Parts: sequence; structure tokens; C-alpha cells
Amino acid sequence: MRKETIMNLILEKQALPALFQSWREHYDVYLPQKMERFSHFMPLSDESVLVTDEPHNTRIPPKALFLPMTEALVEFTRFGSYEDAKQTIQPRIVFAIRPCDAQAVQLLDTSFIQEGYVDPFWVEKRAKTITIGLGCHEPCQTGFCTTVGYGPFNKSDLDVLLTDLGDLYLVETISEAGEKCFQGFPTASDEIYEQALMVQHDTHDQMPVAFETENLKEKLEQNFNSDYWEEISQSCLGCGVCTFLCPTCFCFDIVDEAQRKERVRNWDTCMFRTYSLEASGHNPRPSRVERTRQRLSHKYVYWLDQINQIGCTGCGRCVRYCPVGLDIRAMLRQAQTLPFEVSHAG
Amino acid sequence: MPDIEAIKSEAKRLLQEGVVEVVVAFKPGDTPLHPQPAFFTSVDEVDNLVYNGLCQNNLATFLTRIPKDKKVGMLVRGCENRSVNALIVEKQKSRDDLFLVGIPCEGIIDWRKIVERVGEAVLAVSENDYEVIIETRDGQYSFYKNELFHESCLRCSHRNPISADVIIGEPVPETNQDLANTVVERFDSQAIEERYASFQKEAERCIRCYACREACPMCYCTECFVDHIEPRWTESGATPAGMQGWHIVRAFHQTGRCTDCGACERACPMDIKMTYLTEKLNYDMRKKYNFETGLDIETQPPFATVTLDDKNRFTV
Repeated sequence: MRKETIMNLILEKQALPALFQSWREHYDVYLPQKMERFSHFMPLSDESVLVTDEPHNTRIPPKALFLPMTEALVEFTRFGSYEDAKQTIQPRIVFAIRPCDAQAVQLLDTSFIQEGYVDPFWVEKRAKTITIGLGCHEPCQTGFCTTVGYGPFNKSDLDVLLTDLGDLYLVETISEAGEKCFQGFPTASDEIYEQALMVQHDTHDQMPVAFETENLKEKLEQNFNSDYWEEISQSCLGCGVCTFLCPTCFCFDIVDEAQRKERVRNWDTCMFRTYSLEASGHNPRPSRVERTRQRLSHKYVYWLDQINQIGCTGCGRCVRYCPVGLDIRAMLRQAQTLPFEVSHAG
Repeated sequence: MPDIEAIKSEAKRLLQEGVVEVVVAFKPGDTPLHPQPAFFTSVDEVDNLVYNGLCQNNLATFLTRIPKDKKVGMLVRGCENRSVNALIVEKQKSRDDLFLVGIPCEGIIDWRKIVERVGEAVLAVSENDYEVIIETRDGQYSFYKNELFHESCLRCSHRNPISADVIIGEPVPETNQDLANTVVERFDSQAIEERYASFQKEAERCIRCYACREACPMCYCTECFVDHIEPRWTESGATPAGMQGWHIVRAFHQTGRCTDCGACERACPMDIKMTYLTEKLNYDMRKKYNFETGLDIETQPPFATVTLDDKNRFTV
């Protein structure tokens, strides 16, 4: 997934406030900032303090900047008539987005921008956003990006990648839009560049393999009716933490909020009973067993069927915040012990 | 700390002698910070049972998820014992089908407080009478337990199980309710605008994942009010009205049913404080009706009772 960079520049950390101010003239700038006991992407204000020293990612993934928790699609004007909801998105820069989260947005493109169906709300936000990524030189404990084929310095979908080198960042510009944000910055010496590459490689190599992905899809598919699903879902509470905090989960529910005169889409999750409940009262996924199977299979079977990529970027949020300590890495390690037959079809 | 071997041998006995069909307790998680609720059905599995301060869930929440006629053994601390009792009062389980293994509880350690202090690279956590000792990749840390306990546990006045079939470990000293009262009275003393502002600040962080609901033993409705289509009780979205609506009604549905175990807060992925709302309702129940949830298996919560000599007519 390596992309060629256009330029390698240097950004002194002490120059950040001035840089943010200069961006602010033309863009809405989003930074991870402190919110209660965690960090959250919020617009730059005069009081903003950039938070990049947490031992992990922002609590809510930046997918929320592209697919808000609640978003109006249609506004009802008077009885029987309506018009598309207006979006007012200014050109914006998302600073210090982590590679797993940027990768996730790219995966979501394949769902929101398809032949025959292009989501205008998604497209506009995507087109107006420049993503400046910050690589993870201290990867989080629950993350497993390298296991699923990505990495702590993955450049996919980024306009710029930053590598933290103490007092300065190496700035690798990947797109022209990204390059524009760093005009006039000094070029990095070969020495700095080599140093950054070393950090990138070392970090990548330090990350353990959380589970084997070989034949994982086949095992999950072939054991659709196995007791395995019941075992791993026994303690599942059936809440939406794992999916709502997941950077690649994108399911939504469309609701008419008559009092607001709006048709909205809200985040929804396959882990809820009502998600698959049909009008007749029948529920094809009647218990947490089937719902857990859906969650794992979507990421590790169906995404592969559809675009041949795993639908999980290994950000580790579901592991960190599951209220009962369920761990997708352990679930998939257990899946690897399931029996399967090599398929010769095709 | 209760002797883990004593808990295991009791769990084994219950399964071996056929007293129960399943023992609900905890097993180790993938990281030391997150032990998992576990369901033991055979003696061999019980070797994997763990119990420590990081076991953050209220196991009673699983009681209504297990078939009603199944004989269940459950590890219960003070709060869990009272939640189980409240469920029995509400006819969700028969006491005869339960065997409660009581654990005197010192408090539940909030894993977030550990991560805030030492980071995430936690290799092992152990406890002695006063301290929690945490080994990380960078070294060893120790903290007084009180510093790491969840807020609900710090103000808990029912640490010892009150109606367990067997108690494992020595009883722990109980505290009085002054602290819980003080928390509520402090909130009450704020101006109404201040109270509303802090409620808004907490509630409007909500992502409506309903982890609080699912973690709560008393939230067992097949269909929650927020999931109703006709009639609709709240806005569906992550809007101020929707989020406030959820939090206020969720709390009200707990009146006389909440044990302040704090499982809702510990489950919340957004660190939303919500026990101050239910604690206020608990306070009113204590002061106005001299009632506390789950002290026995017969007394109905005040708002669930109707008598002919009620002073006021029943109104909605």
C-alpha cells in the first residue's frame, strides 16, 4: 500500500500554532483535542490544544466527520413536498488523523461511491477534505493494523503523512492538495529522511501478529453453523460500542423526524435487535449469536467478497472499549482453530 | 481479597452435585485490564475462573438472558446480590432456581483510572489489602485502592452480599450512607441552570450505543422505549433532545430499582456520568419512602405498588 511521495519536508513542532492559523484563513481545521477524559476531533479555535500524546487513537473515529451520527437528508417544506437537505461544508483540513482511520475512510468510499449509487453527502465532504496523517511511532496496545495488511505509517488515502521525530515532523506530501498546505517549508535532508524511515520500519516490525489471516475467510464461512459463534458471543451485551466506535462500520437507519421536519440518517448497528427486525415481527438474526456472526463476517468475509480487502483496519477501539472485555483478536485466533476444507472451486 | 481457590472449589461443587446447571462468574480477558463475564457449565472449565477488582460488570444483567427455568449459580457482590433480589421481586427469576455465591466486595477498580496513570502497556495487575500493583513494560507502579475505585463503589454502603447462600471470604466493613447523601445534596444545592448545564454536558456526549442499558440488570425490557416506532417517545438521533430524552427517561425507569452498582457508567464508551441521576432517585426513595432496592425478595418498589389507602389518585 506504499505510495510515492511528492516531497519530503520538515515541520518544526513549534511552528504548528502559526501553521494552524494560516490554514484557518482558508479552511476549517479539525484537530484531536481533549474532551473530558479522551481526545476528539474538534474544530480549531483560539483555545485549541492539540492532543497527540495519548497512547491510542481518538475515542470516536474520524469517520464521524464524513458520516455524522445524525445527518439530515431531506427537509420537508410543507405538506407533501420536500427538498434535499443543504450541506454547508467549508473546505477543511483534518490534522493528525491516524493511518488506520484514514484507511477506513478509503474503505468506506467503496460503499458510498459506487457505480449507480453515489452518496452526495459523503462525496461532498470527501472532496472538500484534506487529510494530514500522523503515523504511530508508539503503536497502541490494542491495535493490530499490520495483522490486517495495513500499518502504522500506511499512506493510503492521506494527502500528507507526518512522522514524529521529537522536536520536528518529517512531512511526506502525497497529493498536490497536501503539498499546498506545506508550501515554503524546508526540504528534509537525506539524514532526516533516513531517520524517519528507520522509525517507520522499526515500529512496523515491533507490532506483533495478532492472528493469522490466511484461510480465515474460508474458516468463518465454512463454520457458519458452528458452536463457535455461541461461544464467542456468550458474554456479549448486545450494545453498539464495538460498531459505533469502529472506523469502518457505516450502517445507518433512515428516520422521518416529523417534528423537526427532517428525514435523517442515524448510525445504526447490526448488534441491535431492531436492526434486523422485520415489519412482520420476524427477526432473521434473533439473538446475539447471529449478530456477532454478522459483525465478524462482514469484516472478515463479505468485504473480501466485495472488494478483496479486509473491512477492519486494526484500530483496536472495539477491543479497548468493549464493556465486557470481548476481544476480536482472541475471537479470530479461536476461529483459526476451526476445521475447514481447502476449496478448489474456480 | 477472597481466596480464588475457595471460589473455584465452590463453583465446582455446585456443578458436580448438580445444584446448578451454569455458574456465572468471570474468566481472564485477553488483557489483564478486562476480565470477561463467563458461563461455566462443567467442572473442568472452572479452572479458568477468575475474580479480582477489575471484574467491572454487574453479572445480574445476564440473569434475564438465561432461560428462566435453568438453575443458575452466580458470583455476587453486594450490589449484584441486591440486583438479583430486585429481579426476583419483579418475577424475573425464582429464588429456588438460584444459588448465590457471595463475595464481600472492597470496590471495583476503574480500568480507565489505571490507563490514565500508567498507560496501556499493562502486563499484570495484582492486589493486596491496600494497594493495586501494576506491572507495565516501563516498570512497576502501585496505587492505593481508593484512588482507583469507581465512584459508585466509593459511596457504596452495601459491600457485603445480604442474602447469598454461601459467603466466601471475610466480611468487609460497611460504611454509612452519608457519602451517597452528600453527593446528591451537593448536586441539589446547585442553581437549576447549573444543574441543567452539567446534565447537558454529560448527556450530549452520548452516541446512543445503549451500553448503559445493556450493562444494567434492570434494563431487561424486550423492547426499550427508544426502540418504539408507534408511538415515538424520543427523537431517534444524536440530537440534544434525543440524547437528553434517553438519559432522563432511562434514569426515571430505574426509580426504586437501581442499586447504584455503577455498571452503566463503567460500560459507557464516552465516560458519561449518569449515576448522579439514579443516585438522586435512590436518595428520594430512601428519604421519602424509607426504601432501598433489593434488600429482600418481597418488597415491591414504592412506585410499583398500589394500595387502596393511597393518598393520591393514580395518575400518569
